[in-house]
Amino acid sequence: MARNDDMNQSKLSAFLDSDTFKGLLPFIGLVVILGAMYYLTDGRIMQPKRLRLLLSQVYYPMIVATGVFFVMTLGSIDFTEGSTLGVASIVVSVLSFYNIPLAIIGGILTGAAIGAVNGFFHVKFRLQSFIVTICTMYLFRGVCAYFTTETAIPASAAIKALDSDNLKIGITIAVLIVAFFLFKFTRIGNDVKAVGSGETAAKFSGVRTDKVKFLAFVAAGALTGLAAFVNVIKVGSITSTAGNQLETQILISLVLGGLPITGGAKVRFSNIVVGTLMYTVLNNGLVMLGFESATQQLIKGVVFLIFVALTIDRKALKVIK
Amino acid sequence: MQGFRNSRFFGFMILAAMVIFFYALFKFLTPSNFGSPANLFSYFQSSIIYSVGGCGLYFIVVMGLFDFAVGANIVLSSIVGVILSEKLGYPGFILGCLGCGTVIGIIIGFLYNKLNVPSMIVTVGIMLILESVAVFAAGGVKQTLAPELRFFSGAPGNIILAALAFALMWFILNYTRIGTYCNAIGSNEFTAKNMGIDVKKYKLIGFALLHFFVGIMAILTVSYGTTMTALTGMSTMSRNFQPLMGTFFGVAFRKYGNPISAIVIGEFIIAIIFNGFVALGAPTTIQNVVTGAALLAIVTLTARGGRGSVVK
Amino acid sequence: MSDKKILLKAEHIDKRFGITHAVNDVSIDVYAGEIRALIGENGSGKSTFCQMLCGIYTIGGGTFTLDGQPVNVRNQVEANRLGVSIIVQEMGTLSGLTVAENIFLGHEEPFMNHGIKNTPAMIREGQKLLDEYGFTNIKAGAMIDSYNFEDRKLVEIVKATYMKPKILIVDETTTALSQNGRLELYKIIDAVRADGRSVIFISHDLNEILTHCDTISILRDGEYIDTVNAKDVNEDDIKRLMVGREIGSAYYRTDYGKTISPEVVLSVKNVTVPGQIENVSFELHRGEILGFGGLSECGMHEAGKAVFGASLDREGTVTLADGTQINDIPTAIHHSIGYASKDRDNESIILNESIRNNIVLPSLDDLAENHILKAGKLNRFAQEFADKMQTKMQGINQFISDLSGGNKQKVVLARWLGKGSDILVLDSPTRGIDVKVKQAIYALMQELTAQGKSIIMISEEIPELLGMSDRILIMKDGRINGEFMRSESLSEEDLIAKMV
Repeated sequence: MARNDDMNQSKLSAFLDSDTFKGLLPFIGLVVILGAMYYLTDGRIMQPKRLRLLLSQVYYPMIVATGVFFVMTLGSIDFTEGSTLGVASIVVSVLSFYNIPLAIIGGILTGAAIGAVNGFFHVKFRLQSFIVTICTMYLFRGVCAYFTTETAIPASAAIKALDSDNLKIGITIAVLIVAFFLFKFTRIGNDVKAVGSGETAAKFSGVRTDKVKFLAFVAAGALTGLAAFVNVIKVGSITSTAGNQLETQILISLVLGGLPITGGAKVRFSNIVVGTLMYTVLNNGLVMLGFESATQQLIKGVVFLIFVALTIDRKALKVIK
Repeated sequence: MQGFRNSRFFGFMILAAMVIFFYALFKFLTPSNFGSPANLFSYFQSSIIYSVGGCGLYFIVVMGLFDFAVGANIVLSSIVGVILSEKLGYPGFILGCLGCGTVIGIIIGFLYNKLNVPSMIVTVGIMLILESVAVFAAGGVKQTLAPELRFFSGAPGNIILAALAFALMWFILNYTRIGTYCNAIGSNEFTAKNMGIDVKKYKLIGFALLHFFVGIMAILTVSYGTTMTALTGMSTMSRNFQPLMGTFFGVAFRKYGNPISAIVIGEFIIAIIFNGFVALGAPTTIQNVVTGAALLAIVTLTARGGRGSVVK
Repeated sequence: MSDKKILLKAEHIDKRFGITHAVNDVSIDVYAGEIRALIGENGSGKSTFCQMLCGIYTIGGGTFTLDGQPVNVRNQVEANRLGVSIIVQEMGTLSGLTVAENIFLGHEEPFMNHGIKNTPAMIREGQKLLDEYGFTNIKAGAMIDSYNFEDRKLVEIVKATYMKPKILIVDETTTALSQNGRLELYKIIDAVRADGRSVIFISHDLNEILTHCDTISILRDGEYIDTVNAKDVNEDDIKRLMVGREIGSAYYRTDYGKTISPEVVLSVKNVTVPGQIENVSFELHRGEILGFGGLSECGMHEAGKAVFGASLDREGTVTLADGTQINDIPTAIHHSIGYASKDRDNESIILNESIRNNIVLPSLDDLAENHILKAGKLNRFAQEFADKMQTKMQGINQFISDLSGGNKQKVVLARWLGKGSDILVLDSPTRGIDVKVKQAIYALMQELTAQGKSIIMISEEIPELLGMSDRILIMKDGRINGEFMRSESLSEEDLIAKMV
């Protein structure tokens, strides 16, 4: 009998360790969390008004997460999203008084430039990406604070007038479609995954690994710059806290979505959508249930740790640091 | 000549030259409001708080690990210390900070070993949890250290405590196996295992020691600021990086044999640069820019990977 | 010799790595007070044998008995305690520690008192040892990082011998030492012998072995061959013992006298990679198999990388027939060069990826239509070439990490077949691969050269070089040291003579 238990146990743990389960887990998680919230809030979370609120919190994190997705597929990490969003939002706001398209382009270019700084230091000096982006996070957080020291930076009325769900949904879906296409149907996706799975072998297979890594950081920055535009039309003026802690939110979202922290072949594009939705549902549900913010964060932290432990691909890590 | 270039003295000379260079630079730019002896002493007092944390982080960073929960534990341990001090005075304050710090460190090390997940990721999750625990512990109110318990808020109390911390670090590195083994694990984990070193055990010890030093840092931090407010929303993240800069100095100068002086002088150099900018009239918000740029410069000079190496 | 006391008795020692039988039922007796050389070609199992004795590898089978006591240890420190120590081939000291800390790593106990380490005593003791050995220029309290490679090796010698091990293993250490350092090492092993203890000495330098060792045990392909007295033999005798195997002609080429096309497809001129190869020049002809042989560290593996544009800091030129210069990997691949690395799992295949993606990766640009990749087309492409190589798999979406070494290599070859590469650089193409797949690979090589493609085959296996190459270049110490044309009369001894 005891032996039977052992058998069941090992079957169970083998299943818990299998890729099938790890692939399904985010979807199960999303359904479970949605169901739990639906039940606990007596269905209030599904009211149209609530859903719209929920969606309005999804747009810009999802755009940002799409860029970071490419970086994390490399197995690298980017901690600059929050400060990039802050700096790019300032640029968008200032330029919005001249010309809206110019503001959008300015935001994207600002983000791309910050991404290029990250990529340059990471690739050129072979510094670990998390160290580089911690440094630049600090640097650009400071830049953002410097420009907003005295007062918040307002955006033009013209840009605020653009605030509509249709526009934001449109931009978000367009970003997802373009990124999905690039990831799935061009060699970009293959190259990024190859670098994440085995950089040396990718290099020996003709992938220009340094270029791929640099461009992934640029793309993450550029998309954050685009998200800054969505952010500005929503909030209207930029303070020093713009985008605060966005990087950790994105990291948690993507991990909840099932993205293995090691990157590589096992990433799925759905990680972005599922993860961002799950984070937002969890966030909103906890607010609706009336938990105070500390309790909310405690629950998020525990859920995060459980998900990492369940989804990580330990085979890909030789030495766990 | 080769012997000299690698001697402890040579490493110390580089650091001293950097201090003199930055001091002279800012003294030249703003002679009137920078760098009087009293100013220097106050820069030094603010820098040693970070140096203590930098010493603790050395044990972890030298093994190639990382910890984002340092800031959250500074806040939590300060709050626990202050609450205990209300009933038990100094013993409650000191033991509360140190005890809470160390216990958290042991928990982190245990979770890291059990979950088998990169330390950087585990500690992000733990940071979230600790921040909320700190809010519960503080009961949502600002915790103030009683005026009669502020021996460590200025000289000589803070200097004495920091000096004790540095002495402890020096003792551990030179007179116990821990320092040797942490360095060995960092140098080559496989070889270290082969030499019979229990790698998991020493990683746990590393986290415990780090957070013991974080406990000391909590005493100094809350004494210096006299109050501590627990906030959620990953607000403690920024507290991780000032100690880290000193640690990077320590790791970079490790080959010269004395990481502690490198950590202490390194933090002092950062304080000089920051205060130099403030003296030049830059707003204090520039602090993060200086911190980020300095950190980036340090790691670019010290932490770059070999050519053709795989760096994530 | 029977009157001497047996110090170490190795009985039926065995070790497999996957399908490679690295050590096959080896039994050796080592007597007290002798220096025993252990020799054999690359991959003969001599290092693996010793690394099992001192706990770097687990023992696959059989027993070691040292002085009546069984030795089955998990790490070097336990081995040290039982009287076994080793000086390894690579760097064995750890950075960031002092000299004394390195010497006593894992053996701090004598200096510990209630958890407190008596560092001054440790440094004193370390310095005393260093002085006794005559290495007075090394300071025990200094950081190991302040010494060069040779001095660090001397520290390792102290570390391995100060506790007076019953058996000292010296694993190809002398190549790293200058003449002076070698003399020091010889003095030390002589002292061990004089003390009635024993040394196992691994080296490729036959002259050194004949001068300094008492007895010589020969291993070949993981099997024990013989033990001889050093004074009864000369270099030629040893070489004969090291080789002397039958060449399994069944699966090698049988043709001789094929004329090599005069058409040069690739020429390598004055290529130097600092610390690896020096001034290497050769030409590769159309339709030929050019073999590269030598000892593991002779630079032949780097030469393969240099051709593929993968070397860092390379000087000199690699030029194709049409004048294209190969300086980086993408250019090499684009101009039809394929490369299979010796380090298959790291450099050839992306281990945590599907078979499909491993096969299509270099050909993505060719498969894209207006930069767009279609899954169906990629699948068909991968399936076609995986099938062509008769890869044993569940399907092309299976992860390559699940495959055996032979099937992984088939995927590597499938990738370059798919790319249509005209020049293949195959480094150790049959390393760790079973006979059936070996045969398939040899057959493929012949088929490809018949189509006019050219192959550079780098191999540590001499029979393979003799059996497959049209021309063989032997490298030694980073330089080309000899060239042989394919011939029935060419023997293993001829090649070995140029290697060592």
